[in-house]
Amino acid sequence: MESGLEQKYNFDVVRWFTVMAAVYLVVGASVGVYIASELAWPFLNFDSPYISFGRLRPLHTNAVIFAFGGCTLMSTAFYTVQRTCGVRLWSDKLAWFVFWGWNAVILCAVITLPLGLTESKEYAELEWPVDILIAVVWLSFTFNFIMTIARRKSSHIYVSNWFFLGMMVMIVYLHVVNSLAIPVGLFKSYSLFSGVQDAMIQWWWGHNAVGFYLTAGFLGIMYYFVPKQAGRPIYSYRLSVIHFWALMFGYVWLGAHHLQYTALPDWTGSLGAAVSIAMIIPSWGGAVNGMMTLSGAWDRLRTDYVLRFLIMALAFYAMSTFEGPVMALKTVNALSHYTDWTIGHVHSGALGWVAGISIGAIYHLMPRLFHTEMFSERLVNFHFWTATIGTVVYIVAMWVSGIMQGLMWRAYDEYGTLAYTFVESVDAMHPYYAMRAVGGAIFLTGAIVMLFNVLMTVRKSAASGSLTNARSLPAPA
Amino acid sequence: MPRPIVNSISEYFHTDWAAMTVSDWVGTILTVVIFVLMVVVYFQVFRPKNRERLEAQKHIPFEVDNESNGDKDGGK
Repeated sequence: MESGLEQKYNFDVVRWFTVMAAVYLVVGASVGVYIASELAWPFLNFDSPYISFGRLRPLHTNAVIFAFGGCTLMSTAFYTVQRTCGVRLWSDKLAWFVFWGWNAVILCAVITLPLGLTESKEYAELEWPVDILIAVVWLSFTFNFIMTIARRKSSHIYVSNWFFLGMMVMIVYLHVVNSLAIPVGLFKSYSLFSGVQDAMIQWWWGHNAVGFYLTAGFLGIMYYFVPKQAGRPIYSYRLSVIHFWALMFGYVWLGAHHLQYTALPDWTGSLGAAVSIAMIIPSWGGAVNGMMTLSGAWDRLRTDYVLRFLIMALAFYAMSTFEGPVMALKTVNALSHYTDWTIGHVHSGALGWVAGISIGAIYHLMPRLFHTEMFSERLVNFHFWTATIGTVVYIVAMWVSGIMQGLMWRAYDEYGTLAYTFVESVDAMHPYYAMRAVGGAIFLTGAIVMLFNVLMTVRKSAASGSLTNARSLPAPA
Repeated sequence: MPRPIVNSISEYFHTDWAAMTVSDWVGTILTVVIFVLMVVVYFQVFRPKNRERLEAQKHIPFEVDNESNGDKDGGK
C-alpha cells in the first residue's frame, strides 16, 4: 500500500473526483433506465414536459459522458500525471477550481435540460453561458496538466499523458468551434453555422467527442491502469506510440460517416468511411497491446476482479472499433442508419469500453487513495457480472431491434409499395425496448453496488484512520 | 456497350485544378502533409535502432516513485 505519498502529491482532488464519478454513474444510468422504460412503456412520460424523453435524453447523455466520464478523466489524469512525472500538480487551487467548476457545469445541465433550454446540438446541448464555463474549466484543467508535465522529473513523457493531452487539446478546439453561436438572450442562442455546414460541424464535433474524449482520454487510463493493475509494463511501447499518432491524425476525418445519404457532398461520406476502416488497424493494435500486457499472467483474471473489468473493457473496445467502421460503409449504413443498431453500437462502446475501463480504474484507485482495502471484494465481483450481463443484454436487444427496423423500413411488396407502416415497425420493437430497459437496469444495479462499496470504503478508511495516518507520514524526498 | 475501365478511372481522377478554392488547397496540402508525417512516425517507431530507446519508457509507471520513496511494490 502506498505511504508517504500524501504529502508529495495532491490526492485530495483525485479522491473527490473519483467518488463523484461513482455518484454520477448512478445518476446518469438511472436517467438512462428511466428513458429506456419510457420508450417501452410511454405512460411513464406522465404528460409532463420536464420528464419527457426529448428532455431527459440529453440529461442522460450529459450525465454519463460529461459528469461520470468527465470526473473519471479528471481523477485519473490528475493521478496519472503526478505518478508518472514524479511531481505534485502545478496548482492545487486550479485543480480545485476545475473540480467545482466542472460540478457547476453538471448542475447547470441538471437544471437547464429538463427545462428545455438547449442549443439542439447533439452532445453539445448546453446553452452559451454554460459553454463558456465549460471552455474556462477545461482550459484550466489542460493548463494545470501541461504545467505539471513541464515540471516532471522523468525525461520522457509517459504515453498515457500523451493520450490525455491529445484529448485536452482537441476538445478545446472542437468544443469552441462547434459552440460558436450568436446569443439572443441569456438562455437562447443560434449556431453560427447553418444548413449543411452546421450538420458537418456538428458531426465533426460529435464523432470527435467519441474519438478524442471517449476514446483517447480513456486510452490514457488504459495505458496507465492496465500495466499497474497487472503489475507488468505495457506489452509494446512502440505500438502505443503508433496507436497515439494514428488516432490523432486519423480520427478527425470520420465525422461525415454520420451523414451518409444526406445533403453533404458524396465524397465526404466516402472519405469518412474509408478513414473509418483504416482506423481499425491502430484501434486493434491498441486493444491487442493492452490485452497482451497480460501475456504469461492470464491466470490473474481468475482472481483479480479489477483486472477483469479492464480486460473486458478492451474486448469491448476492439469489438466496437470494428463495428463502427463497418457501419460507416455506405451499404451497411443504408440499413443501419436511424435504427437502434446505432444505439446498440454506442452502448457497446459506452457501457463496455468507457464504463468498463473507468470502473476498473476507480476500483484500482480506491484502496490507494483511501489507504485501505475495498469494503467488499465480493461486491466488486458481483458488479463485474452485472455490468457484463447488463451490457450484453442491452446491446443484443438493440442489434436485433435495429436490424429488424432497417429491414422493415426497406421492405417492398410486389406492387413496389412499402410493406410496413412506420407504426408497425414501432410496434414490433416493443419486446426489444423492454429487454433494453431490463439490460440497463441490470447494469444500473451494478453501478449502485459500486457506489455503496465506494462509500463504505471511504467510511472504513475514516473509521480506521488510515488516511489520517497516511497524511501524517513525512513526504518522500 | 460498357465504357473501357481506363477511361472511367481517368475520369474519376480528373481534377479541374483551375476550380480549386483556397479551402480545397488547404485541405489537399494538409492531407498530404499528414500522410507524410504518418509515414515518418511509422518509420521512426519501427526502426530497429530506436527499439531499445522506446521500449525502455514502458517502465516509467513503475520507476518514478520507486526512485524517490522506496515504494516496495513498485507503486502498485
